[in-house]
Amino acid sequence: MSDIRHALLRRDPLSAAKEVLYHLDIALGSTLQTGPGLDKNTVDLVEEFIFHVPKDRNTQRKRMSCVQELQLLEIMCSYFQEQSKDAVRQVIFSALFSLQGNKADENRMATLGKLVSMAVAVCRVPILECAATWLQRTHSAWCVRLALVLVDDYCTLVPGSIATLQNVSSASPRFCCQLITAVTALYDFSSDELTPPPSLLDMVVGWITEDPRLLLLTFINTPLSSSLPLGCLEATPLAGLLRWCVKAPLASQRARKSAVTGVQPEQENGAVCEELYSKLHLSVLQVFLMLQVHLTEQNLLGRLAVLQVESVAALVEEVSALVEELNPLHAANQIQLALDRLAQALQVAMATGALLCSREDLRTLCSRLPHNNMLQLVMSGPVVPHGAAFQPSVYPYIHPARPSPLSPHPSHPALSPLPAHPALTTHHQLTPHPAHSPLPPPHAFHPASMAFQYRPIR
Amino acid sequence: MSAQGDCDFLVKRARELVPEDPWAAKAWLITARTLYPADFNIQYEMYMIERNAERTSSAGRLLYDIFINFPEQPVVWREISVITAALRNDSQDKHAQFLKGVFETLPGPVQCQMLLKATEQCFNTLEKAEMHLLLLKRFPESVVQHGVSLGESLLEAENMQDLDTPVNCYRKLFVCDVLPLIINNMEMRLPASLLHKYMHKAAEFYIGYVTRGPCADAQLPGPQEGGGLKSPGKGRGQRGVIDGLSEKSSLVAEPWVRLLEIVGSMGLRCEWQGEKGTRTYSELLQRVKELCRYLPGLEGETFSRCCAQIVTCSTLVLFRSAHFYISTVQPSLFQGHNSLGSTPWVLVEDLSSVFNDIEPERPSGKHAHKKRKLADGREKTMSSDDEDALGKGRGRHILVNMTEMPAWAEMLEHFRTARESWDLLHSHETLESEYNKICAAWKTESWLWFRIFLTDMIMYQGHYRKALSSLMQLTSLQPQQNQNTHPSASSLETHRALIQQASCHYALGEYRLACEKLLEVVSGLVPQNQEATKSSEEQNRGRNKGKKGNDLRLIPCTSKDILPFCLQLMLACFKLRAFTEGNRDDLSLGHVIVLLQHDWPQGETLFLKAVDKICDQGSFQYENFFNYVTNIDMLEEFAYLRTTEGGRVQLELLPNQGMLIKHHTVTRGITKGVKEDFRLAMERQVSRCGENLLSVLHRFCINEKIILIQSLP
Repeated sequence: MSDIRHALLRRDPLSAAKEVLYHLDIALGSTLQTGPGLDKNTVDLVEEFIFHVPKDRNTQRKRMSCVQELQLLEIMCSYFQEQSKDAVRQVIFSALFSLQGNKADENRMATLGKLVSMAVAVCRVPILECAATWLQRTHSAWCVRLALVLVDDYCTLVPGSIATLQNVSSASPRFCCQLITAVTALYDFSSDELTPPPSLLDMVVGWITEDPRLLLLTFINTPLSSSLPLGCLEATPLAGLLRWCVKAPLASQRARKSAVTGVQPEQENGAVCEELYSKLHLSVLQVFLMLQVHLTEQNLLGRLAVLQVESVAALVEEVSALVEELNPLHAANQIQLALDRLAQALQVAMATGALLCSREDLRTLCSRLPHNNMLQLVMSGPVVPHGAAFQPSVYPYIHPARPSPLSPHPSHPALSPLPAHPALTTHHQLTPHPAHSPLPPPHAFHPASMAFQYRPIR
Repeated sequence: MSAQGDCDFLVKRARELVPEDPWAAKAWLITARTLYPADFNIQYEMYMIERNAERTSSAGRLLYDIFINFPEQPVVWREISVITAALRNDSQDKHAQFLKGVFETLPGPVQCQMLLKATEQCFNTLEKAEMHLLLLKRFPESVVQHGVSLGESLLEAENMQDLDTPVNCYRKLFVCDVLPLIINNMEMRLPASLLHKYMHKAAEFYIGYVTRGPCADAQLPGPQEGGGLKSPGKGRGQRGVIDGLSEKSSLVAEPWVRLLEIVGSMGLRCEWQGEKGTRTYSELLQRVKELCRYLPGLEGETFSRCCAQIVTCSTLVLFRSAHFYISTVQPSLFQGHNSLGSTPWVLVEDLSSVFNDIEPERPSGKHAHKKRKLADGREKTMSSDDEDALGKGRGRHILVNMTEMPAWAEMLEHFRTARESWDLLHSHETLESEYNKICAAWKTESWLWFRIFLTDMIMYQGHYRKALSSLMQLTSLQPQQNQNTHPSASSLETHRALIQQASCHYALGEYRLACEKLLEVVSGLVPQNQEATKSSEEQNRGRNKGKKGNDLRLIPCTSKDILPFCLQLMLACFKLRAFTEGNRDDLSLGHVIVLLQHDWPQGETLFLKAVDKICDQGSFQYENFFNYVTNIDMLEEFAYLRTTEGGRVQLELLPNQGMLIKHHTVTRGITKGVKEDFRLAMERQVSRCGENLLSVLHRFCINEKIILIQSLP
């Protein structure tokens, strides 16, 4: 192996990188069937000749020029484009860009950012698909960094280029879905800087209103049995988008407060954004309704929490903090709007089985929030007349009713022995979800494959 | 808070939000629905938002939900009736289109259910039928279950309403919409009797539709030519709306074609002989003519099936061709014909040979009369081809001015076809009685247009006695038909009938009656300038060449054409009497001479014959001579007759001259005075040569009416 290294050391950096890629292809293409991972030597070669991590202090290799770097990216691009085997492509991609927890990671991320940005620019679907998988398996902290690169490249640096990124939704819906999850993780309204740029918001809302099913793509196509690494992105962008909708009115008020010097031009932009958030909120609710259809079909209703109680708890916490930060007198409308949206989303999520939480837990959870009529209604639940609990048979009624003295307290869904996704490993034999099937999964969620059927509720 | 209170709060909040933030409003309602899925108002509000924004697919989804979940809500019913109303009328209005779109998004079974339920809600028969029809059209499989009952309910409604015309809204719906669905649905097995009943209902409607008269209320009085025989329907409105239907749905395109389609389908279903579904009316007739030959050898069910086919087909062909014939001959009778400038025509005996010498071709007195009577007696059996030889019914020609009636060939062909169908229907007892049943059911007795056709046909067949009674019936039909139309219309009808009566009487040898009728007509005419008549006469001549005397002629029913005909007919009446061998009738001869002036010199031969007769007699007395004879040739001839070279004929042409001569036989001087009077009268007469001859002859007819009539036996 060191023979190879010595040979490579004599070459110019570009041809050396190419050689390593070639070596990688041979090594992984043949060992794919047997399964063992990459040997240490190959990993080293990749890190030294592709990501340029110095092997030892005395061999200070000259770095590639910008042009050479671009050429290398082009080579990678065409390699993934031309590799016909999905599995090989996936393995090579992860061999190159899986984070190792070493000093090569920074360079790895830098190269990945440039590669994906390039793939978006020239519409290289195979790379976007690999990147989508990468976004699923990588810790959210790194995902957020990739998202930031793309937002910088397409939304911030060159204003007119956002249209290119816009097309991603049709080129690779899966990547698009993951990207939305990543940007919602990135922009969490924790500060004014972490407010999504209007152009990004506009694009995301555009994607979703055009096809709301986009948001469920990753969730539906992921086998339930596959355990995902800790700290990775959530399976759907729903929690993140909900955060956007709920916190946006409060954050805009906060921004107005800090920029009290009065920058008027923002006003108009603000109105546009308000409308976008309202549309987004409606879409989130509609996606919950769609999710119910899916969960019912898969017999997962009440067993799988798509919206984690922890995420909700965190959001409630953030909202309380923001409310406290604002003057309730001046921001009453914004606070009420935020609480309306929060309450509506919680209600719909519970009703559709996306959120597994009892009314009682909800009351505890939201006890610190200011008063809001909608929230009050949601916390207490619907009024059920004695002995006349009308339930239309076609309507899957899953949220527990307000406890009545005659009926026993409904069992706590969260306390049921069924663990929530993604830790649903012990019960995967119950679920019809296909695990590693060589065939396309029968329920592969593609926008065109799911005809909208008539159901009592959507 | 109560559940109702919650719901009201949520709906109210959503409603407030709609104008400023429609997305938020929807979010509220989605949330509300998950809280109270059984609440109607929430879902209805969701529907209303989508409906008001005219978002078709989402509105359709929500309508589906509320239709399934809240079928008893009155509001839902109101909405469904609004939507189905939009479906029924063909409004292009944007909102109606949207509502139709909403309906289209619903799954088939729900559409079906919705229509059925909406139908149940209708109390108005017509609306209900329209709803039902909507259902049948969309869901052909429902035809089997509902088709016949819908049809029957329409026919029943028609009966209940006691409508006086088959062209009514119920029948229209039945014939044009329901019937095609029923007969084209091959899964349905219907008894032949029912199919025949439906077939006849359809035929009655279509015939009634094409032959319906122009509507009286839409009529504007057109500029009338002073009292002349003119088309009565000037400026008549074209539209006829069937009571209860819109103007658009009152319209039936190509009624005869539609009827033929129904006959085709019916024929297939009734297993008619050689029926392949698509053919023309003439093929239809051809087929049943062949079938008729086998009729005597058939019996039982085959016989009755054949009869049904023959009667149905021949009847339709008869009415269709008769209608075409009448629509050319008297277009103003029907709606939709541009009656402006369309002249009615009248069928009469052809008299173009009236100026010919008497012997070979005039309708020859008693002998001809007898022969005709003979034909009358045999009339029933007169249908098969070998009867042609008798020459009464067949082989007669109808002369017509081709330039004035461009569609003459077609018209004659239809007249022929109609007669043929009629003959077929009267060739067998069973056929005739079946045909009569249809006529009775349709009340064809009251159809003026058909009576006109029948009259013409009977005249053509030479059954003049029957034609006269048919004309009497015609007169009885007219007042009720024309009471609303322009006054001149009825006078036109009277004229038509009178002229034809005169023509028939003439043909029967009843000259006095013929003249009575004629003079009645003439008194209502206004003489035209003479010149115009010439050209048309000449055009006819070419066609007339070599034809025998018993042809018929169609002449336009105008003063211009009728006065000459009347004069000819009178001439024909007097001609015989005036020239009878060994019989002296100076009065008739005088009339003939007066009448011969018309169309001079056509009558030259006859005039010379008259002169010969006068010479033979040696004297001639006609006191009206100088009142009505202005023809210079004639005057010259008479002046010559008095001379020695001319034979010294004794002419008594001045009023009271005879008296004077008798009185003064002895005194020669007085005769001299008479001579002088004659010379003066002649001179005066020569100066009258430029007078409008038609006016002179018109005056002659009016002033001498009584003498004219009395001078005929």
